[in-house]
Order: sequence, then C-alpha cells, then structure tokens
Amino acid sequence: MVQILDVMDKALEGTPMSESDYQLRRFAPKVQEKVKEYKIKYDPKNPIPNDGSLADDMFEAAVDLVAEVGAYCTSTARIISYSEKEIRQAIAEAPEEIELGEGRDRKKLRGRKVGDRTPPWCLLGAGGGACSSDKSFLTLVEGYAEIPETNGITTPAITRVGGMRIRPASPLEILGAMRNAVLAREACNRVGREGIPIMNSLSTAESDIAFAAALHPKFGMRRSDAYMICCMDPMKVDFARLNKVTTALSLGGPIGMCEGPLLGGYAGGAEGTALSNVAHHLMGILTYQSSWILPFPIHLRYVSSSCRELLWVISTTGQAISRNSHIISLNLNYTSAGPCTPMCLFETSASVLAAVTAGLSFESVGVASNRYEDQTTPVEPRISAEVGHAVAGMSLKDANEIANKLLSKYESKLSSPPLGKNLNECWDAENREPSKEYKRVIKSYKKSMANLGVHLKDEL
Amino acid sequence: MDEKKVQKALSNAILSYDSGAAEKAAKEAIRLGMDPLKAIEKGLSPAIESVGEKFEKMEVYLPELMLAADAMRAAMSLLLPLIPKGKSVSKGTVVIGTVQGDIHEIGKNIVSNMLMANGFNVVDLGVDVKTATFVDEAQKSKADIIGASALMSSTIGSQKDIVDYLGSMKIRKNHAFMVGGGPTTGEWAKEIGADGWGEDAATTVRLANKLAKGK
Repeated sequence: MVQILDVMDKALEGTPMSESDYQLRRFAPKVQEKVKEYKIKYDPKNPIPNDGSLADDMFEAAVDLVAEVGAYCTSTARIISYSEKEIRQAIAEAPEEIELGEGRDRKKLRGRKVGDRTPPWCLLGAGGGACSSDKSFLTLVEGYAEIPETNGITTPAITRVGGMRIRPASPLEILGAMRNAVLAREACNRVGREGIPIMNSLSTAESDIAFAAALHPKFGMRRSDAYMICCMDPMKVDFARLNKVTTALSLGGPIGMCEGPLLGGYAGGAEGTALSNVAHHLMGILTYQSSWILPFPIHLRYVSSSCRELLWVISTTGQAISRNSHIISLNLNYTSAGPCTPMCLFETSASVLAAVTAGLSFESVGVASNRYEDQTTPVEPRISAEVGHAVAGMSLKDANEIANKLLSKYESKLSSPPLGKNLNECWDAENREPSKEYKRVIKSYKKSMANLGVHLKDEL
Repeated sequence: MDEKKVQKALSNAILSYDSGAAEKAAKEAIRLGMDPLKAIEKGLSPAIESVGEKFEKMEVYLPELMLAADAMRAAMSLLLPLIPKGKSVSKGTVVIGTVQGDIHEIGKNIVSNMLMANGFNVVDLGVDVKTATFVDEAQKSKADIIGASALMSSTIGSQKDIVDYLGSMKIRKNHAFMVGGGPTTGEWAKEIGADGWGEDAATTVRLANKLAKGK
C-alpha cells in the first residue's frame, strides 16, 4: 500500500523532467496513444452511452496511463511513478464507504453502480463560488443545510476580511479560512442541522498554511467532516498540496481530491478528457491518499459541464469507475447560465442525470461558471438534489433520451448564456424562499421535466 | 534550398509542432542570407496564426498550440537578433504571468501562446509571480502590456496589488494592464483600475491589440 512517505520517496527519487516536457511530451501524447490503442470513440448522438465495453476499456486505458506517465511533482521536478501492481492494489484497497457527519446527519457515503436505485450522496452548495459578505455566506449555507436531501455542505468562499480583499498565503487568507469554518458551522446550527458534514474544507484556504491553521478544532471543523484538496492538472502535485494531505491524514479526516480536466486542454477532446478524468481517480487515491474523488471536468470555452461532450465525459467516467472499482466518486457540475433562468436548471439537471445514472454521486453546483460573486442561490443545488433522487435507478438508455431532450433546450445558448439574477435579487433571505419570479421559473421548469418523465417535488 | 523552400520549411515546422525542424529551417534561412523579417513574416507568422485559429475553433487543443509556440520560439531565437534595430515584427511586448499565491497555469498558458500566435512578443513569467516581479520585468523589457491571471477568488486581490504598485512607482502610464482568470469580471477590472478584462483567450488577444495600438 502506497503511503505518504512512499509518495515523498518517489517525489524525491523519481525521474527528473521539466514540467513542460511532462505535460506536452509525456502526458499529452500518451493520452492520445491510449485513446487510439483502446479505440475509445466519442459519439455525439449518445451523450449518455450505453456501452459497458467502452467503460471497461476506458478503465484499463486509465490504469495503463497512470502506470506509464505517473504523477508529476512540481516541487522536485520529478516523476512520481507507480507500478501496475501498486495501482491495482490501491484500487482494491480504496475505501468502499466512509462515514461522515454527526448525530442524525451521520451517514455512510458509498460508491454506487450503474443504474443503482440507491439515492446519490448529495453534496450541495456553492462549490467554492465567491460570496461578497458574511451575510451572503450565512444566507447561502443556511439554505443549503435546509435542503432535505443534503448529505454534506460545500460552502462558498469568503473574499474579504476586515474590509480588505483576501491576499493569498497572507494573514488575511488565514483569517478568512478560519471564518469560513466558523460561519459554515454556525449556519448549519441555525437551521438545526449541526451534525451535517462540511465537505469542501476549506474553500477559502488555497494555501497549505491557511488550510492547516483553520483546521484547529476551536474553529469547529471535525474529524467527521471531509477534507478537499485540489489536484493541479494534469496529474500534478507539489509540496504545498502534500502538506495539506499530511495535515488531513494526521487528523484522520477523509481526503477528497478534486480534479478538473479541461476539455480542450492537455488531454485534448472528449475521449482524452474522459480518460484523463478516470486516470486522475487512480492517481488521486495514490498520490493524494484520497478516500473519495471529486471530478469536475469543464469545457474550455463554456467553462461549464453541461454541453454534449461533457455529459459524455461525465457518464463514461462514472461508468468506468463504478463498473470496475468501488472508488467513491462525486461529480461536481458547473452551469453556464445563472440563477432565475430555466437554462441554468436544465443544465444542472442534465449533468446530474449523467452522473447519477452512471453510478456516481454528485456535488452541485458551480452556477454561471462560478465567476460572479453572489451569483448563486440555494435553489440550484436543491433542484440538483431533486433530480438526483428522481433519476436514481434510471437506465442509461432512458437517461440518454432525456439528456438529448434537455440539451435541445439550451445547447445553442452555451456561447452566450443568460447571467440571470444574483442572490439578493431572486432569493428572499427573510422567508428562506425564492422570489416570486424565480418560483414561476421553477414551476415552468418542473412542468417541462415532468413532460420528459422526470417528476420532481410539487413544492417550489 | 531556395528562399521559397525555406519559407515552406519554417511553416511546416510550426504546423508539425517540431522545434528541431524550426531551428534547422531558421539556420538554413540564415545560411542563405535571407531577410530575417521575411523569414518570419512569410514563413513563421502565417503558420502560427493558422494554429491559433484552429485552437480557437477547437480543431486542435492546448498541447498542439503550446508545441507550435515552442517551435516558433526556437526559430525566433535565431532570427530575431539579426533584425536591424528600429525594425520590428512584433505588435508589442506583453509580460504575462499568474499572480502571487496562485499556481494555476492553463488559462495563462493559453493566453500566452495565443498572444504569441497573434504577433506579440510574450515574456511569460510563469505562475506564483510576485507583484514586484511583474513590474520589474515589464520595466526591463519595456513592455507595452502587463497581463495578470488569477483563478481563485482568494488570489485576484494580487491583481489589484500590481496596478497599485505601478501607481505607487509612478509608472502606471508606462504599461497597459489587463486581467483575466476564472473569478475575474469586467466590473472587477474597472474597480481595480485595470485597462481591460480578457474573458477568454480570443477576447484577450483583441484587447491586447487595442491596448498596444492605444499606446
């Protein structure tokens, strides 16, 4: 079993190579070589493919890829190599379930299978999107915690402390990360769900020092929360990330490595991006010592994950992982459109549909590419959760049909999506509900979903 | 090999993403006594522009764009020193990097290589670049533009530091300043006093063209 000291040993002793050579001359060509070798082919007509052999080939190609390119440590400029035996052992020994949360909200997060009727784990919130103030942070997190399906919270990121915008790796970032922990717990307490796990600890802490500082128990983080550490694309790590890993391991908190391969980036098109996505899962359980993985593949142009190619990437990744391993994986989706627009709700529905039917759980949602402060509300993750529960158990064939119909509603608008309205404009914080206008949008959206055969809750 | 063939060889080297071939063709151009400006303008530039256009249409992806830019750099490093003073093939110089505390490089790499593909001289400082380094390098290379990328809401504050530092040094007017990256917006650029916001690579190139002309 590869442990953190083994990772360090490999990072210090591995083959030396420049970062540019690793990315351009080792990783990128090898991805394309494996795509060809395993005859992996994207089919635009079937954004949710129903082809088990494609998924299985994808998984084997990913094992080959990790064995042949390894990971890359930017701090030592060396390759971290893994043998096929180490990779397969890590897959076999990856946790089948982890227990998160406290009291009534203590639940088991397990891997799922294709067509699984078990509801997905719903990690709901802002996916680290920026918020402008403590007030909007609390409004959002209270809203997320109130969603009945919420299994875990993904908080927004705090951007200001003491009236000053946060600077990286500075006292401002450390204070912001501490505030992130305190306010997240406070918001859950306020709505009576104090036991719910915070799973993106801590979105405000980009640096290792802020991460470690804010995990002091006095700020409210617990061992039963989950510790998210972002991988550098492609397959890269540095000492700052390994410092976070070592800190989380010492606390006993389950690490979730997040990774966001870019369609159009180092792995190329849909086939390469899906392969890279699966390979990152395997690299993550080794290098980042992860108990769960959070993939968030994104389109280079749209900066979202709802287009046709990305639905295919999400689905094939999910099928490859869930058919061939018990690795716990939650897909994080991004929309192009903003709150209070039908497009945003259709986009998140399509991405969640692709993930859940392929055997993944999910995190939802980065709204409007997570670009704008406060451009998100508790409605979008609530809708994602309703969809996630409604489509659990659906066949890939039926899901594909629905995905095509959903795509027809927004595909042509991805290049210039509507930004919608911000938190204050379409969420009534006092009454903890959407604005009248947003309610009308939701009602019409739910009617459309019912027409597609996806029946969501009556209430708005 | 005659000049036409050398031009073709330079072009082919870029289109086949081959730094070795680009260097070889540039050496051949020099051996023939070819005008280096002509070698660049007729051989290299149309080819790198073509790769940039294909990337924009997603007909090729980031590795191809970056390898083509590597090949371009290999040839340019031999040809540029031979260009007489006062003559220029560049639309302007851009000093670019990802801000202090941020190690995200993909967006910056895309913009850096697209600027190069569109005729700019690019000084790429990499990631996690200190505020003073942006300014020092811009001064040193007499850059027309400084471009700062940031991908995290916790790191975009460093973009403000650059524009503030330029102001404090009383050299704000020496360099246009543009920002980009995931959480940045036009409003943010305006708020901090930047000269523009690049929403994506294509708009950043258009912005750089405008800023370079405006100087």
